[in-house]
Amino acid sequence: MTAPLDVSSEETKATPEAVVSGLGGAKAIQGRSLGQIAWMRLKQDKVALAGAGVVIFLVLVAIFAPVIVGWFGHPPNEFHQEMIDTMTMRPKGGSGISSEFLFGVEPQNGRDLFSRVVYGARISLLIAFFATMLSVLIGTVMGIVAGYFGGWVDAVISRLMDIFLAFPILVFALALVGVLGQFEMQLGVQGDTLRILLLIFVIGFFNWGYIARIIRGQTLSLREREFVDAARSLGARGPYILFREILPNLIAPILIYATLLVPANVLFEAALSFLGVGIQPPTATWGAMLSAATKYYTVPHFMIFPGMAIFITVLAFNLFGDGLRDALDPKSNR
Amino acid sequence: MVTYIIRRLIGALLMLAVVSMVTFSIFFVVPRLAGVTATDFANRYVGRAATQETVVEVAKKLGLNDPVVVQYGRWVKGIFVGSEFDYGSGVEHCPAPCFGYSFVTKKPVWPDLLDRLPVTLSLAVGASIIWLLAGVAVGVLSALKRGSLFDRGAMIVALSGVSLPPFFTGLIALSLFSYGLRITAPGGAYTPFSENPAEWAYNLILPWLTLAFLNAAAYARLTRAGMLETMGEDYIRTARAKGLKESTVITKHGLRAALTPIVTIFGLDVGILLGGAILTENVFSLPGLGKYATGAIAAQDLPKIMGFTMLAAFFIVMANLIVDLLYAVVDPRVRLA
Amino acid sequence: MKKRTLVVAASGAALALALSACGGGDSTTTPTGEAAPAASAPAGPTGFNAGLDAVTNPSDKKGGVLKMAVTEDWDSVDPGDTYYGMSWNLLRIYGRPLVTYNPAPGAKGRELVPDLAESLGVASDGSKTWTYKLRAGLKYEDGTPITSKDVKYAVLRQLDKTTYVNGPTYFNDWLDLPKDFESVYKTPDVNTDQAIETPDDQTIVFHLNKPYAGFDNFAALPATVPIPQAKDTGIKYRDHVLASGPYKFDKVEQGKLYTLVRNDQWDQATDPIRKALPDSYEITLGVQGDDLDNRIISGDLHVDIAGSGVQPAAIASVQQDPELNARADNPIAARTWYISLNPDVAPFDNIECRKAVLFAADRTSLQTAYGGQLAGDVATSLMPPGIGGWQKIETYPSAGSDEAKAKTALTACGQPNGFETTMTFRSDRPKEQAAAESMQQSLAKVGIKLTLKGFPTSEYFTAYAGKPSYMKENKIGLATNGWGADWNDGFGFLSQIIDSRTIREAGNYNLGIKDPAVDALVDQAFAELDTAKRDALWGQADAKVMEGAYVLPAVYAKGLLLRGKGVTNQFITGAFDMYDYLALGVE
Repeated sequence: MTAPLDVSSEETKATPEAVVSGLGGAKAIQGRSLGQIAWMRLKQDKVALAGAGVVIFLVLVAIFAPVIVGWFGHPPNEFHQEMIDTMTMRPKGGSGISSEFLFGVEPQNGRDLFSRVVYGARISLLIAFFATMLSVLIGTVMGIVAGYFGGWVDAVISRLMDIFLAFPILVFALALVGVLGQFEMQLGVQGDTLRILLLIFVIGFFNWGYIARIIRGQTLSLREREFVDAARSLGARGPYILFREILPNLIAPILIYATLLVPANVLFEAALSFLGVGIQPPTATWGAMLSAATKYYTVPHFMIFPGMAIFITVLAFNLFGDGLRDALDPKSNR
Repeated sequence: MVTYIIRRLIGALLMLAVVSMVTFSIFFVVPRLAGVTATDFANRYVGRAATQETVVEVAKKLGLNDPVVVQYGRWVKGIFVGSEFDYGSGVEHCPAPCFGYSFVTKKPVWPDLLDRLPVTLSLAVGASIIWLLAGVAVGVLSALKRGSLFDRGAMIVALSGVSLPPFFTGLIALSLFSYGLRITAPGGAYTPFSENPAEWAYNLILPWLTLAFLNAAAYARLTRAGMLETMGEDYIRTARAKGLKESTVITKHGLRAALTPIVTIFGLDVGILLGGAILTENVFSLPGLGKYATGAIAAQDLPKIMGFTMLAAFFIVMANLIVDLLYAVVDPRVRLA
Repeated sequence: MKKRTLVVAASGAALALALSACGGGDSTTTPTGEAAPAASAPAGPTGFNAGLDAVTNPSDKKGGVLKMAVTEDWDSVDPGDTYYGMSWNLLRIYGRPLVTYNPAPGAKGRELVPDLAESLGVASDGSKTWTYKLRAGLKYEDGTPITSKDVKYAVLRQLDKTTYVNGPTYFNDWLDLPKDFESVYKTPDVNTDQAIETPDDQTIVFHLNKPYAGFDNFAALPATVPIPQAKDTGIKYRDHVLASGPYKFDKVEQGKLYTLVRNDQWDQATDPIRKALPDSYEITLGVQGDDLDNRIISGDLHVDIAGSGVQPAAIASVQQDPELNARADNPIAARTWYISLNPDVAPFDNIECRKAVLFAADRTSLQTAYGGQLAGDVATSLMPPGIGGWQKIETYPSAGSDEAKAKTALTACGQPNGFETTMTFRSDRPKEQAAAESMQQSLAKVGIKLTLKGFPTSEYFTAYAGKPSYMKENKIGLATNGWGADWNDGFGFLSQIIDSRTIREAGNYNLGIKDPAVDALVDQAFAELDTAKRDALWGQADAKVMEGAYVLPAVYAKGLLLRGKGVTNQFITGAFDMYDYLALGVE
């Protein structure tokens, strides 16, 4: 990821010197790549760094969920009905929070809420990351092709973007997951794998319109720039210009919007799970936990922990994404 | 200008046509490819006690064996002239505009949609007014007092606002204000404005605030960024240099420029919202279009899903159209593009 | 088929809750609250479970508006097109069947009493022919007289199950219908006298294709509520149901609101069972579940029509608040939640592997999954205890599980290390989801690995768990299931779910009970004219099903119901195991 960033040093819009002097930390003025500058700016942004720290923490939690749960919790689907008052269905003592059950237990079946929140991070991040990659992939290709070739290609792709932006996406995703989810036999996969793939596809597939629009705009302006003309006059052909000249300059916006798309997709996945078409039980997802908590509105810990997990994740990504935008796009001022 | 409007109108209609085709294929072609037969579809229209012959007969009568293109044509025709549905026990008439006939409720879809529309409309209008006013006010103040305690506080709240899902804030609000303090309606009820305005507002206040909170946060961030950018422009410096009062500079010159993109986004957001605030309506059990849609999806009631999707797409396309036309009025360059 | 439970979409499809309908007389468990003293105060008994066996707050005062509500709509108010217990209970305020249930508390509520008819049915031809005579002076709300031809038309009309998809099919199966009769709409000219005769306007004679001694149970079905052919508008009839009872529809807003007002053409002299106390009924549909509970608690609403109990949130309040506890009843319903085992799929073709599941399933955990002690008692067989002929079957654990026996059974089955299979459940019913998850946990302990699959209720029986071909192709071994009695005897409960000959291509609630010995017992019970002997036969059939280990009964459903503030004559009827809606009044 860092290599392409370095390529574009000559073409950066802002003069590195001005930025460096602005930061005041540089001893001597020297040529710096956009990546280096961005990193310097990012280092100054404490809030963004905090966001990044939380993001890294969350990713680690997701990866090492089994280990963490092994130390501090119980298997996420294991029942602990000895913790439940069978008359009221609520955890004994209200929440069941103790050193053994850090976040307490779920009403009715007594599952360890801590373990379920930790495991929920896996589903949430996995789907959000891959869906984002899918959107970015489709969006970038569509955007570059439309912006570079122009003409009827641009017209067709732009219309397509408009159509995707005009879809009531949430309903569509809901319905599509419902329809496709029934064809386990035909699709050849089932269970969680099927659902995860389906959600990545649906979330990713409907979200490329926005990113494509941005990339198209950027490509349009890049296409007319001198260095592209120069490459062309030197005999470079379409693919070379696209991938060696234009694409590297698009890394910054792609990175920014990808970072900001991840939290949106976390919310999207949570919404689908909340509405009951996400990963199927007993696998833990934050949205489904919130959905179950609605029946027990007098048991606050049941909704607070998964809700806060969503909030912290989305907030961390937003903070980091904002910081990254400020760092990579010198024109934006806060 | 007239040619521009006509061009845009035709574009909007084409867009709706494409959306309808895509929707239709997803619900009727994809299942076919996956091996669902015409009789499986017909099974949804007849009762559980129906014999196999009846199912086959109904499939034939409803034309479920026809090529999808023919079925799509019939569906489009229904919108303009209405259609008849023959279940074998009497013909059901579905008057124009017929957006389908539900096999679950045995009712045409269109009147149902119209019935739900006022709820969603009330929700969208109320919430959007709140978030527009609150978001812009906070954004402007933040920009003017950049770096102040207010600015920082407001931006922290705003960033939290965009990071909180409405089904979490809504739940917290419900359990706090409706079930805990019992000062707001617990959801589920809707009273038409014409019947009792006070009750109408009482039932909607929590959904309004939940929905508005989410969007106000985003608008505050946008407004602040926009204001900061415009207030740094040369013409603002010129206006100040002319000796205009600061308040005039802000409202007449700064705000006007900063608000143009906000209004664009506002138009699109309201358009999307009119198609059903699915999450908010579900959290508060409001009988609007969004709740209707999730109900239809749960019951796999395809005609309803089709009808709803079309209405929602219609609102989005219309919002786009209106925003574009307004832009064209404000900025003549657009027309030439 | 079965009398359905109402599904509540509390907020969104995913949040729907299963409510159980029908319930049965006597509850054995008393929750934390104090049971009220059984003193016969002049105002009638009060306290927890007071409404189970006695009329609470008795009064003959007329007037007032009775406010009822329900979380969702039910199938239809058309008497020929409804299969919800609450609807069968409620529709008697506007419609009069030939025969109905005695509006009395507890077991007395199961007695049949003549309604439109002068007396219960008169059998002849070895119980194959049943004759009823209508009372004199019966009129519809428009003043036209009610004749036996209208009853005949109403019964024939609802045989058309492609139009009236909801109701039961007993008349389809038992009437001696002519071969060329299809429906009153398609073949209006076919002579149907061989099935139902109306020699005069007061007399109606039913001819069955096989003897049935309990035909009065059929005559009590809503299908016998009269509908004049001239007023029949097919599926649209539900918008304009013509009243034969003491109330008629005033406002009909489908899915939202019904109001009923007094029907001045109804004559108290023709009706010994209805008191018709309130001046009007106001029925609100689609009220959010928790809101509904809170409004009943505050007195803003009188009755939750669903009659299946309060939402989880209110269960705790009812137990913690003595005042509320004293207003609560906890009847046991004639409904069993169970898990079907599918012998079409290996290794469940081997009885030992089925037994392994029955031993390994943790009953206490299942009970908790279905809502805990207040929501049900651990079931030991399909048939609930309120039904004649019931016996406790002690072959399998009635608390916890028996892992040792489960392992022995697994070894006997040739799968000592367990096996893998799939279990379906209704994804919009949190209780069934919890039950499936509970099964997954307890079966894992003996090495049986379950994969869970949820499907929406709307298609669960027609496309998935009720479709043997689907279950077989997809190798699904277990399915959550539930069944409520159409009326409270062995026939009304068991006949549709244990008789292998009722299994169709789709829409089945019976997946795996295909045992000739069971079928033979069913035939014997059909033919037996003596009630006690018949009950015993149904009990034997129930035992035979358990012997074959075809189902895992989970709980006999119970509901925690709240009596409304200021409601008079409120009691649980043994017929529907919810409050009787014929007797209610307001103070």
